[in-house]
Amino acid sequence: MSYTTKTRLLRIFVYIILAILLVMCVFPVWILLVNATRSTSEIQQGISLIPGNNLVANWRNLTGRGFSITRGFLNSSIISVSVTVLTVYFSMMFAYAVHVYDFSYKKFLYGLVLLLVLVPTQVSIIGFYRYMNALKLTNTFVPLIAPAIAAPGSIFFAKQYLESVILKDLIDAARIDGCSEIGIFHRIMLPIAKPGAFTMGIFAFVASWNNFFTPFMIISKMPKYTLPMLVQTLRGDTYRTEYGSIYLGLAVSIVPIIIVYAIFSKYIVNGIAMGSVKE
Amino acid sequence: MSENIKLRKKGNYEANKKFYGYLFTAPFIIGFLLFSLYPLLYTFYLSFTDMTMMSKSYTIIGFDNFRNLFSDPFFLKALRNTWRIWLLNFIPQLGIAMLLAVWFTNNRLKIKFVGFWRTIFYLPNLLMPVTIAVLFFNLFSFYGPVNQIAVRAGIASSAIDFFRSTGWARSIVIFIQWWMWFGSTLIVLMAGMTSISSTYYEAAMVDGATAFQMFRKITLPLLKPVLVYILVTSLVGGMQMFDIPYMLTDGRGSPNGSIMTMNVLMYMKFSSNKGHIGAAAAVGMMIFIITSIAALLIMKMLKEKEPDLEKNIKKKIVKTVGKEI
Repeated sequence: MSYTTKTRLLRIFVYIILAILLVMCVFPVWILLVNATRSTSEIQQGISLIPGNNLVANWRNLTGRGFSITRGFLNSSIISVSVTVLTVYFSMMFAYAVHVYDFSYKKFLYGLVLLLVLVPTQVSIIGFYRYMNALKLTNTFVPLIAPAIAAPGSIFFAKQYLESVILKDLIDAARIDGCSEIGIFHRIMLPIAKPGAFTMGIFAFVASWNNFFTPFMIISKMPKYTLPMLVQTLRGDTYRTEYGSIYLGLAVSIVPIIIVYAIFSKYIVNGIAMGSVKE
Repeated sequence: MSENIKLRKKGNYEANKKFYGYLFTAPFIIGFLLFSLYPLLYTFYLSFTDMTMMSKSYTIIGFDNFRNLFSDPFFLKALRNTWRIWLLNFIPQLGIAMLLAVWFTNNRLKIKFVGFWRTIFYLPNLLMPVTIAVLFFNLFSFYGPVNQIAVRAGIASSAIDFFRSTGWARSIVIFIQWWMWFGSTLIVLMAGMTSISSTYYEAAMVDGATAFQMFRKITLPLLKPVLVYILVTSLVGGMQMFDIPYMLTDGRGSPNGSIMTMNVLMYMKFSSNKGHIGAAAAVGMMIFIITSIAALLIMKMLKEKEPDLEKNIKKKIVKTVGKEI
């Protein structure tokens, strides 16, 4: 067999594998979205790739049984947006300080951040819960938002990004013009680092939006439930056989993320690469 | 005189720079002390007490919680399960991702739409894990789509009760974990491969090396820092696995404790009738210790015989971490 024929055969084989993986990735999500629009009896009769017309009835059934979707959406949005803002702002600030200023313990501090990226975070949840309980902060959003001030993963990313965009000459020029250090950070650095901040923000938002374990430990009152906690109630007895409504509830929780991904996939995919490898 | 003023000014400026260095890093330090370090130390302390949710007072009981854990068949089972589920999803995950990354970066194959494939393969990683668990529970339920297809296509003679079989339940968790993470691993691997200078390959080509030889002798060694990163981050995540095994069945690792991970066990102890805070904290500390030791061993093992590479941040991580610990 000649060299080119071999390459061609291998190429066909590769595309077949890629197609199989594509179906594996998309099929479950597609079934989920389609079933959200079908009635329970239709779903029980078999699978379909074409949407049905039972969306409105499913929605009524879903929201009529205590699945307070707007509330959950609002709660999740408040938490995720706050986390995103805090993470981006304070991580940029830390990375900027390490990048631009010289001070003692700088090396130690950045080493600590790199170490913390690798430390399991959920193991201290019991202490965290008792501690928040003692401060009467359980069933509030504070324990879910405030820790975003110290986000080692984001700092690592911010440091990588700043190294590629920050110009020391520009900072010096601003100093000569009489701009204060705090002013330089806000008026020169943040605007320059916008694309990086944006990518960081998407990751912080998605991580917070999808987080189940921490709110599950901290929140116990239904009106404060976040979206993942509401989704968890779909496994309970209330919706036992209401498959259409269950699928709709699941769809509502992932559609916003799918939309964000469809628009910003380039930022996200490049962001993962940037957060892990430096050229 | 003027020299003196200049010097003083410079000294002032240096002091100023130091001040802003401390000011700008202060929020992180405060946040870290309040929300990371203190809870960790407090959990450590709690793991030596017999505190429960119900009782007001508690006593320090030393290592009793840990001693109980090692004579508790549930904990040993959870420990085994966590490792088994992580290893069985990580190996194929790395394998497939490596294969795809080699294909995507191969100049001879010229695979089209690499960006599109990567984007699709990464999608599962962004979806809410709780949603994925409930979705797969429905897909694999007794009357669900998977059974419908299997029976109609004649693959299975009758519907399979997936969540009553320990083997099936565990396989589904492993599959979901693999499904969620192979795209992410692929992207990181590709970033590592494309950052390897092409001159190495050109030189090897001149010397008549085969594709496989180049992979073994150039790609793999130069990829080591990236591999360490993937291995360690995956390990840290895998040891804390909770959402999928908790949501897939009854939250107690059914059937027969086959998908009970260490984190699920910690939650079970915490949420039990009595609310064993001390015992749950001890499980948390065990996860911490096991993960740290394993991560350290991995980094130590892979650090030896490291070839001279271009300056790479991953190496820096390995070194810093190694030193700190």
